Amino acid sequence: MLFSYNWIKEYIDTKLSAVEVCDRLTAAGIEVDGVSSEGPDIKGVVTAEIISKGSHPNADRLSLCEVATPDKTYSIVCGATNMKVGDKVALAPVGAVLPGGHKLKKSKIRGVASEGMMCSEVELGLSAESDGIMILPDGTEVGNDLVSVLDGADSMLDADILPNRPDCISIRGLAREIAAVTGCGFTDKIPAVKDSSGSGVEVGIESLDCKRYSARVIKGVKVGDSPAALKARLEAHGMRPVNNVVDATNIILLEMGQPLHAFDLKKLTGQIIVRQATEGESITAIDGSKHQLKEGMLVIADDTGAQAIAGIMGGTVSEVTEVTTDIMLESAYFVPASVRRTSRKLGLNSDSSYRFERGVDIESVVVALDRAAELIIELAGGSIAGTVTDVYPTVKKQEPISFDIARAERLLGMSFSEDEVVKILEGLSITTDKTTEKNILKVTPPSFRIDINSQPDLAEEIARVKGYENIPELLPVASLESGKRSRLSTLRRRLRALLVGEGFNEAINYSFVSPELIRLTGDDLEQCVSVVNPLSSDQSVMRRSLLPSLLENMRLNLGRSNEELRLFEVRPVYSLESGKVRQSWRIAGLLYGNRTGAQWNRNDRWCDFFDIKGIVERIYAGLNLEKGVEYSQLEEGDKYFKTGQLMHPGKSAGVFKGGRRGVHIGVLGELHPSVAKTFGSRKTACVFELELGAMEKGFQKIRPYEKLPRYPHSIRDAAFIVDEQVTYSEIMRSISKISTKVIDNVEVFDVYYGGSVEQGKKSIALRIIYRSADKTLKSDEVDKLHSTVTGELVSRFGVEFRS
Amino acid sequence: MKQRLDTLKAEVMAALNKAASSREITEVKQQYLGRKGPVAALVKELGGLAPELRRAAGESINAVKKALEAEVELRLSDFERREQDALLASETVDVTLPGRRLPLGSLHPVTTVMSEIEDFFGDLGFEVAEGPEIESDYYCFEALNIPKDHPARDMQDTFYVNQDAVLRTHTSPVQIRVMEGRKPPLRIIAPGTVYRRDSDITHTPMFHQVEGFMVDKDITMSHLKGILSSFLKHLFGKKREVRFRPSFFPFTEPSAEVDIQCVLCNGSGCRVCKDTGWLEILGCGMIHPNVFASVEYDSTEVTGFAFGLGIERIAMLKYGIDDLRVFFDNDTKFLRQF
Repeated sequence: MLFSYNWIKEYIDTKLSAVEVCDRLTAAGIEVDGVSSEGPDIKGVVTAEIISKGSHPNADRLSLCEVATPDKTYSIVCGATNMKVGDKVALAPVGAVLPGGHKLKKSKIRGVASEGMMCSEVELGLSAESDGIMILPDGTEVGNDLVSVLDGADSMLDADILPNRPDCISIRGLAREIAAVTGCGFTDKIPAVKDSSGSGVEVGIESLDCKRYSARVIKGVKVGDSPAALKARLEAHGMRPVNNVVDATNIILLEMGQPLHAFDLKKLTGQIIVRQATEGESITAIDGSKHQLKEGMLVIADDTGAQAIAGIMGGTVSEVTEVTTDIMLESAYFVPASVRRTSRKLGLNSDSSYRFERGVDIESVVVALDRAAELIIELAGGSIAGTVTDVYPTVKKQEPISFDIARAERLLGMSFSEDEVVKILEGLSITTDKTTEKNILKVTPPSFRIDINSQPDLAEEIARVKGYENIPELLPVASLESGKRSRLSTLRRRLRALLVGEGFNEAINYSFVSPELIRLTGDDLEQCVSVVNPLSSDQSVMRRSLLPSLLENMRLNLGRSNEELRLFEVRPVYSLESGKVRQSWRIAGLLYGNRTGAQWNRNDRWCDFFDIKGIVERIYAGLNLEKGVEYSQLEEGDKYFKTGQLMHPGKSAGVFKGGRRGVHIGVLGELHPSVAKTFGSRKTACVFELELGAMEKGFQKIRPYEKLPRYPHSIRDAAFIVDEQVTYSEIMRSISKISTKVIDNVEVFDVYYGGSVEQGKKSIALRIIYRSADKTLKSDEVDKLHSTVTGELVSRFGVEFRS
Repeated sequence: MKQRLDTLKAEVMAALNKAASSREITEVKQQYLGRKGPVAALVKELGGLAPELRRAAGESINAVKKALEAEVELRLSDFERREQDALLASETVDVTLPGRRLPLGSLHPVTTVMSEIEDFFGDLGFEVAEGPEIESDYYCFEALNIPKDHPARDMQDTFYVNQDAVLRTHTSPVQIRVMEGRKPPLRIIAPGTVYRRDSDITHTPMFHQVEGFMVDKDITMSHLKGILSSFLKHLFGKKREVRFRPSFFPFTEPSAEVDIQCVLCNGSGCRVCKDTGWLEILGCGMIHPNVFASVEYDSTEVTGFAFGLGIERIAMLKYGIDDLRVFFDNDTKFLRQF
């Protein structure tokens, strides 16, 4: 929000420049984003005095002057002749910026260094022509920024007023704050309006959303244009001039933070009532927008209906126009929440609603009314008719707060004397009274400081006026305890490290996706949590699985010619379970490209089901959780992951814990080719998704050490043909039942279909490693064991051994 | 005998001198020193000699044999070494060709920055706590002293999933959840994902925060300053200046905004810091008595500080990322840089 510094200075008596004031304000909690100068486009030009003038040793037409500010004396070479010792001039030292962004550099003129230049009006952009350099009036103080002393020049402060400080959303309020934090003088403007004989307008308040309503009648005004200077002031603060009456109300709104409204008195009929709108009541606002009002919205009405939406905007019916002669001027206090609610519901904002929503000073309502009346009469003529109307049913009482200085010291970690506290508080217009208790004051904040209600609020006031920079920096004393972290958080770190080790890049996607994406990936929208008010429908459904987002990532990357993808994401997902929102964590990954990444001298192999399965196996192995994890073809009815349409039906698997009928904890496999195509891929893409809940319990368990074998092993291979339907895991299970003591390990080293192998059969080659813990097995002992194994394979699966 | 030995020795030496490779040396060895060679034949003749001559003859044969064998070994190893050298030389590769490597994985910069923050506070004994992302109105606002008609609770700014559940707008609800179940002293850090209904160049509707708080007897604002100063110096370097400015948040009083000296211009003023020389980095303050009241802590007994900071902003400053949206595109050209 913009504030004119010249206007502020009508209230305060300070020598500080706009920039200095901004620094103080920022340090005190009113952040000023910038100061823009309304005057010439110059920077760093200062007022200075010529203290000596001599001739240039190498040039007759140039002079060499000493020019001084209170801080420094500059040696300046000058070509002009119109100056004398004692003149006040505009000095642009090295580093100053002149119009057009021209920055002054150190220079030598005819062999003599010049530390800047004395400027002419042309050089400063103040005038189109000039004779010689600019000579400032005799009384000009030296050492000031030229912009601040130029007539008509102004600085606009761009301040960020936080919601707790509505009292600063005005010239007067900000001036008061500057006075408080810099200690300079503050002079208020007191209106001199007087009641005239006769009664004022009658106003009735029928709603608690209006706490005070004041009005004055001014008769005989002549509506017309405002003076140029006033218009310029409005425009500089971002407001559009309308006519002298409306402009006067806006000037007071800017100056005092109190919104006002002027009605054309002749358009009003009967008594003025502040009331709730009736359902279906309508109004056309002065910006031309039509509104159907609802119950709960506050209006200013006459006998014919709503004439203004309270605190937001007036209506066209009673709008002030060129033909208006008599007006009713309103100044009121409307409850912030009420104005905000109505403004949001109607989608209608104004400079008024902005201030009412944040809270105006209820005690300044009539002062502002009078200031506005005074200004209207000044600009548009006319005179006050009757007495002031001021309906203020329950006068706001400023409750005193008991302020414990010692407690504030303990909260802030700094100390201050009672005198200091009193001085700071009084500077902020907070009255203080001593109590019988030491260190405890009874303080009463002014009506405009609606943010001060409690002990810590006061502590903050002390701290901010003293400056936060004066609070010492200390480290707290606490018991030596290590910072624990949750199992889940440790698990996520382990998982991330494992996937990074697999060459995967971590992705983070928005938690919300489009319903279309849910549909495309075969999931059920009914079971998803939806956002009621999404920014767009693309972001309206909370994802129940991470896979859809990774597919989107694949689409984006392939579209940008990033052809090797190894992405993973560890994030929560959300689902609706019997009406309740459930959040759980998952990890998902996407593999697209060569198994080992493209290399210049190696045979490339595109990734497939077993690559992604290998990654999943390594995850469980890395967490020491591989025992009890099983992989099985997905079946109809596996509801946990709705992947029926997402995955390749033959090259996908469910991950289970505790057997096929146990807990379904994940999926993996190749993407269904049609889905892959939808997401821009022409080749096989592999994905996996696993539940973290199933990992959380066991991954930190320590696996006890197994003794190293003392005796050598013997190897026997078994290559055989078996029915295609027989799975590897069935074979392994039957072998494991034979003798666990001497079979150290079984590895599959070849699986083969087709060729010489009959249709419906497959060839499997196993390598079985035999080892005893007690002795070295003799060859014939191994042979005997091996024949038990082969015998079992024959009897269970009818395998045929290949020679 | 001696003559024959001399002749044989000379013959072998000549053959060895002629040999040009380890293979030829081996052939010479087999030919002369093998079981069927002349040396072996001489040994066989020993049986026919008179016993008194046998010993001396045996010794001289043996001496010659040893000498020849040593000579063979010497030449053999010499040849072998040279042959290996030649072989190795022929195997020379272009060492400037790229190595075979598995793709390098990476963590998302948000994760990395978050971990760094967790670790710093973890080292100071702060415990990691988390809460749900779909949060009740009570935990997200009410208990944090954000009144019903506060703009933050408006549909305009907050995503709702139903009447009283929102996508949390900050990680501060974790404060309430932790305090509700436990008694001070507490030192907690709460990292997480948050959502706000805002999307433009400087805002994404989802982003990340870390909330931290400490509650105990006699915790003061100077402790807050001490901890955050050392934290920011840890993150941005010891020489980085840090300043605290008064600010406003409903759940803290006094409240402060913390700025660091601009990392790009070191305070001299640039486009990134809008010529102020400072960058806003986090918000903090002393926990509001109303917040303590909602978890039934006695604010005359305990005090505490809380702070919250945005992860993306820190990551942008640390890595010089100038566009917020690239964080969630997941373009591998972006992800692989970290």
